[in-house]
Amino acid sequence: MTEAVSKVIRTEEYQLSMGPVHPSTHGVLQILLTLDGERVVKAVPCMGYLHRGIEKLMESRNYFQCMPYTDRLDYVSAMNNDFAYCRAVEKLAQLEVPERAQYIRVIMAELNRIASHMIFIGSLAVDVGATTGMIYPFRDRECILDIFNELCGARMTYSYIRIGGVKSDLSVKVIDMINVFLKNLSAMIDEYNDLLTGNEIFQHRLKNTSVITAEQALQLGLTGPMLRASGVNYDLRKDNAYSSYEDFIFDVPLGNSGDNWDRYIVRMKEMRQSAKIVKQALDGLPEGSVMAKVPKVLRPPKGEVYVTTEGPRGEVGYHIISDGTVKPYRVHIRRPSLINLQALDLMCRGYLVGDVVVAMSTIDPILGEVDC
Amino acid sequence: MHSGLLVMTADMLSNGIDSLIGNTLITQFIMVILEIVAIFAVISVAVIIQVYMERRVCGFIQDRLGPNRVGPFGILQTVADMIKLMSKEDIIPAKAERVLWGITPMLLFIPAALVYAVFPFDDGAIFTDLNIGIFFVLAVMSQSVLMFLIGGFASENKYSFIGGMRAVAQMLSSEIPMAFSIMAVVMVTGSLKMSTIVAAQSGTWFVFIQPLAFIIFIISMTMETNRTPFDLVEGESEIIAGPFTEYSGMRWALFFLAEYTNLLTAAVLTTTLFLGGWQGPVLPGIVWFIIKVFLMIFVFMWIRWTFPRTRIDQMMGFSWKILLPLALFNIIATGIGVYIYNWMY
Amino acid sequence: MQGKGLLTGLSVTIRHFFGKKVTVQYPEEKLPMSETFRGGKLVLDQKKCIGCRLCSMACPNEALDLTVETDENKKRHMKKYIHKSGRCLYCGFCVEACPTKAVTWDKNYAIACYTRTDLTYDAVKSDGRNETHE
Repeated sequence: MTEAVSKVIRTEEYQLSMGPVHPSTHGVLQILLTLDGERVVKAVPCMGYLHRGIEKLMESRNYFQCMPYTDRLDYVSAMNNDFAYCRAVEKLAQLEVPERAQYIRVIMAELNRIASHMIFIGSLAVDVGATTGMIYPFRDRECILDIFNELCGARMTYSYIRIGGVKSDLSVKVIDMINVFLKNLSAMIDEYNDLLTGNEIFQHRLKNTSVITAEQALQLGLTGPMLRASGVNYDLRKDNAYSSYEDFIFDVPLGNSGDNWDRYIVRMKEMRQSAKIVKQALDGLPEGSVMAKVPKVLRPPKGEVYVTTEGPRGEVGYHIISDGTVKPYRVHIRRPSLINLQALDLMCRGYLVGDVVVAMSTIDPILGEVDC
Repeated sequence: MHSGLLVMTADMLSNGIDSLIGNTLITQFIMVILEIVAIFAVISVAVIIQVYMERRVCGFIQDRLGPNRVGPFGILQTVADMIKLMSKEDIIPAKAERVLWGITPMLLFIPAALVYAVFPFDDGAIFTDLNIGIFFVLAVMSQSVLMFLIGGFASENKYSFIGGMRAVAQMLSSEIPMAFSIMAVVMVTGSLKMSTIVAAQSGTWFVFIQPLAFIIFIISMTMETNRTPFDLVEGESEIIAGPFTEYSGMRWALFFLAEYTNLLTAAVLTTTLFLGGWQGPVLPGIVWFIIKVFLMIFVFMWIRWTFPRTRIDQMMGFSWKILLPLALFNIIATGIGVYIYNWMY
Repeated sequence: MQGKGLLTGLSVTIRHFFGKKVTVQYPEEKLPMSETFRGGKLVLDQKKCIGCRLCSMACPNEALDLTVETDENKKRHMKKYIHKSGRCLYCGFCVEACPTKAVTWDKNYAIACYTRTDLTYDAVKSDGRNETHE
């Protein structure tokens, strides 16, 4: 608004409460928007609507019983959460995981990463209004869920990765299913590219919106694709290789401008890289047991440990304090969604209401994880 | 004399009533009433078909089947939904401006239905062949923006209000390129009369003479009907449902009715202006008309279920900075073309 | 060239419009449940059960409420095996913990019910399903 006009017409900022009941807040999140017309002046995410007190719940359960609760943090990539938790407990109890189990864990974590990114593409598509763009990734994600269902009997809350290894060995059927999926994945991604990536409207919506510079990203403590889209090369799978990740050859896709488009493209590329890892892991699957010798009653020595794992949304960290009993004294979980969500205000300021939902989508928060 | 199927039926009916009553004036009155009823029946049936079609098309595009449970192939699904909507509780927001809020859905339907007065469904089957037909359509269609604004304002809901404001901005931006694209057609025809425009396409359809105008018209019609990629007024993921946010049950159904009536209007207008109206070989005019209209509706649906939504500033920028200059350029080009044509022949 | 992507998108959707559909028409056709599927109600094989309570000890959420009875031969067996499925996380730890494989899932996923009390059932009797064992 020009100076002359604003003298005549008095405008007022107003508050718009986006959520907790809103079609595109990915769960129950409230965003308090302060708007000037359609332009966002301030965006405050208000979370806590899905708080279940999982950290506290874990204190009253033994180390094995905590497993199902980690599934329920980031419920679209439960494998990665289990993975992080198990690694933390293993470090605490000084357990050595057999190599075969390590490989299987990598396979499952990467498959789950692909599934999670498919959800991201789908929810981003529906948030920019392309309903069909949502259906295709969700349809293809079913293939991964079917694999997991065959593997461990659950589609979302797997509890497959266990302390000391994995629940069961891969059956021939599961290996076949994974191979079939890997063969089809390329065509699936091409289809999303045709439908969404190449679409000019989609590009216009995403490019040059919600820019986060590398410094800002680091200051906010962003991790995962959010950080890499800003051009910071930080991937725990490479930088702090765990669970035999050093055996696999893969690239870490980076963005350069840190806008919504980069965040989308980085995830698109990551899917192919994940598939590459799964393929290598399946080909080089070592023989052996899938479970370490874990005592029936696990009493890790006194002490504390913080272990991080690269989840689909960023760094999943578990800080566990043990007092030498069967139950953890305290568990703190670094949930990447929560920390990434703090960038929302920065991403929305000065943009339009339509960009808020896109910014929300490219943060890709899972509210189960945000509220814990 | 016209020879369309509809006209013949109407003539037969009117003769029958005439011989029964014997008073021409009363017969004419009855016929007018019948025609109005017929138009409303056509609209309602078309809307029911469109809703079913939308879901089926959407389902098929998304690898789903769509409704297929109620009735054979699920064709009664829309009817079932209507019954459900009618039996719903009528919730009025406590702070709404009750009168304005209440009349909006009804008012919205009036301009949507009014334009059907000037559409030629078949040879001679036109309710009133106004000599300013196109102008009338443009004038009446743009009225619906008022209802969106009133509805959005009266709901006392910020989402509704944003939706209402967007509706105004969007319709202003879409009406002008649309009017200019139609103007090119009018220049070629030399008349605003719908029947003349259709008659002028007996040789070549205007889609071939005016391809640019056709594209501009389709795009601005998508804006006009609030469909993806320009469904900013509803903008489901952003502003929930825009002006309809607070409406439920039958009131919401009326919005829906108006929306699909507008879609039908868009298809009918495209058919009339660019696809030769009811004209076509072998089959009767009305059949050609229906085929073309539903083909156009399919195209609109196809577009809707493929594209993402634009942003409000992008949409307005596109409309004012690209569509409008193109439409103006098209008018100049058409003017030169018409001048050369007249000069040569 | 602007607009090329739009046309590609349209070609994708029209291909799917005529393509094969993936819908499973649920009540008529059902997907096969995997061997490992965790879900439904718990089935207790009375003959195998030794009353060791390991299942209820493994449960993270105290969803199992057991009453064990010792008969004249000093042999323990379940009197009540109450599964509060409202509390259940369906992690399957109870099934894994069972040393004699006496507890299994019935894999009947259609377990929605009208009242909260319907969620709690006794795997020893109730249900009619276990009557064959008795």
